[in-house]
Amino acid sequence: MQATRSLSEYRKRSTLTATTVFLLPVFFFILIFIIYPIIDSFWLSLHEWNGITSGKAFLGLENWKTLLGDKIFFKAFLNNMIIVVLSIAIQLPIAMAIAFLLDTGGKKLNFLKMIYFLPMLMSSVAVGFLFKYTYDPQFGLISAVDTMLGGQGMVDVLGDPHRAIFGVIAVICWQFIPFYMVYFLAALSSLPVEIYEASIIDGASHSQYFWRVALPSMKGTIKSAAVLSLVGSLKYFDLIYVMTQGGPDGATELMATYMYKNAFTIGKMGYGATVASGMFIIITVISLVTLRVINGKEEA
Amino acid sequence: MKKVIGKTLSAALALAMTVSIAACGSGNQSESSSSSSAANTSSAATTTTVASGDPVKLSLWHIQTTEPMTSNVKADIDRFAKDNPKYSVDVQVMQNDAYKTKLKIALSSNTAPDIFFSWTGGSMNEYVDADKIVDLTPYMDKDNYKDRFMDAGINQATYKDKIWGVPVENTSVAMFFYNKDLFAKYNLQVPKTIKELETVCDTLKKNGIIPFSLANKTQWTGSMYYMYLANRIGGADAFKNAAARTGSFEDESFKQAGTIIQDWVKKDYFNKGFNGLDEDSGQSRTLLYTEKAAMTLMGSWFLSTAAGENKDFMKKVGSFAFPAAEGGKGEPDAVVGTVGDNFYHIAKTCKDPEGAFKAIQYMIDDTAVAKRIEAGRVPPVKGVKVSDPLLQNVLDAVQKAPSVQLWYDQYLSPELSDLHKSTTQALFGLSKTPDQVDKEMEAKAKELAAKK
Repeated sequence: MQATRSLSEYRKRSTLTATTVFLLPVFFFILIFIIYPIIDSFWLSLHEWNGITSGKAFLGLENWKTLLGDKIFFKAFLNNMIIVVLSIAIQLPIAMAIAFLLDTGGKKLNFLKMIYFLPMLMSSVAVGFLFKYTYDPQFGLISAVDTMLGGQGMVDVLGDPHRAIFGVIAVICWQFIPFYMVYFLAALSSLPVEIYEASIIDGASHSQYFWRVALPSMKGTIKSAAVLSLVGSLKYFDLIYVMTQGGPDGATELMATYMYKNAFTIGKMGYGATVASGMFIIITVISLVTLRVINGKEEA
Repeated sequence: MKKVIGKTLSAALALAMTVSIAACGSGNQSESSSSSSAANTSSAATTTTVASGDPVKLSLWHIQTTEPMTSNVKADIDRFAKDNPKYSVDVQVMQNDAYKTKLKIALSSNTAPDIFFSWTGGSMNEYVDADKIVDLTPYMDKDNYKDRFMDAGINQATYKDKIWGVPVENTSVAMFFYNKDLFAKYNLQVPKTIKELETVCDTLKKNGIIPFSLANKTQWTGSMYYMYLANRIGGADAFKNAAARTGSFEDESFKQAGTIIQDWVKKDYFNKGFNGLDEDSGQSRTLLYTEKAAMTLMGSWFLSTAAGENKDFMKKVGSFAFPAAEGGKGEPDAVVGTVGDNFYHIAKTCKDPEGAFKAIQYMIDDTAVAKRIEAGRVPPVKGVKVSDPLLQNVLDAVQKAPSVQLWYDQYLSPELSDLHKSTTQALFGLSKTPDQVDKEMEAKAKELAAKK
């Protein structure tokens, strides 16, 4: 008895040492590259600094007051919300449909899996340039198709303040559907074959299997996909930056592009940091609330 | 217990997913700079020589990424190092945008290169105010070295009555470039007044040709029309005074400029969808090459860009200055542009400013000037001779110009410049009236002036 206890204690202690040793380097890097920058961002947000001078002027909460009344930031937040809603509403169902079709298709459709995954392999900058030309009102693909269908051509997408955001969202969906497709495909193929066989034997049709069996058992995957998409959309930056730079006249401004513009283009580092910190708070709160709502039932 | 762990974990997860935004700005910029520095390590020229005196290491950053300019700069610096064996220079080439971000960070952390450049205007003034660059007046006055340069170039490098930079690279002014064949086909003459220009546009429109090609996602492109109109209507002083706060952005000339632009947009003088097109990817030039559009108002770098993209098209290209406004206060020969483009500064942290200045001189000595002309540039020195008639036009325009207005977006402070660019885009997009735009500009200018 005495011996076993000390053995288990010994084991506990050695495990503790091992975990500490293994986790320390990670913790160290997180501390330097994540925790410290966050704290520093908040600290910077209390200052006015043009990014060049060696001294920063302490402003207190002045920047935060400006942020609360900043119409452009509010507009950017709304744009982010449009992306969140449309991303989840468009990307996840389409990705799920493709994944299910590919899964039922089996090995025959392997080459389609490859093809569908291609957009994900391209860098966002390349995708942005590609679609910039696609949307060209004079020479672009969209205008050409419109002409073929008997229209006037000259479809202006990115230059129109009402359409530009949707033009970019279409590209975002094109780029990210493959990601969720693979995500769902992995989940589908990890469902035990027995379940499928059992439901078919029980007389379920393919669609019944999908709606009543496969979908419910993938609840966890769908939830995490939704959260991934949510957070990704809230901090979205690259395609907008390449395709519209937040224009025309702020119509596609996002929180992240607005932060970049303030900090690095205009040279208001302090206010840029305020926008970044504001984003941090907004995204954290939204994510936590979403997680709570999603997991609410199980935890209660 | 499990629940608590689960909750903590999910909270931590949410945190971890969001935190990357904090690093988002810097992450993006380090990505771009790392990609450019990767491309550039090969072109970084380090010349080391054994020498008399203590060896001095200098560093230089520039953005001449296109050949033959990259080799030209390298050759200039190599000649300097050869003649002055005491020095070795580490030259780094990078892309325009990466340069801006990198330099900003380097300056704030006092790790700036000894020699770097700006486009003068707002950013240079900021460096001066932050005490980051060396006053070059004594060096420029020595043996009247400054007389080598076009006066407009020296004016541009002057702030608070001192000279802070050496104009080196190029003289570029905005002018109209047009397709001579199309003008001949429709019997059109080069317009001398804005009214004549509008008649030309109307004729072109009637024949299904777009008068002006414009890609205005880039924003400074549309600004060129605005700058010239304001200049022709209100004279060079209207803007200068507004910027210096002795005048106002609500001046009548800005309102008129805005009104004319909106009138032109409504008359479809510009190609459709210009606010979504990107000048840097050549979306405006394609319209000219395919003869769908006849003219463009662009900086004179248009010549070398177009020559590189479409040699055949260059045979058809002609140029003319922005026409005069009837009854306007502006001189019709005044130009908008830059005389020097890249102005080299010496950082306050430089240990040997004298040597650094010598190095800069090698970039604009006679050999360097000859090479720059060969590459299709117009170096900002007096008595340059060019053989290309189109370049000669540019040179003539600068030499007879009573005043050179630096691009607004470089002249103004970064914050005001950004507002100018986005409001001009709104003006072109008809989403703001000229009055609204002027009011916004004036309010921001006041706010910034009050802070100083």
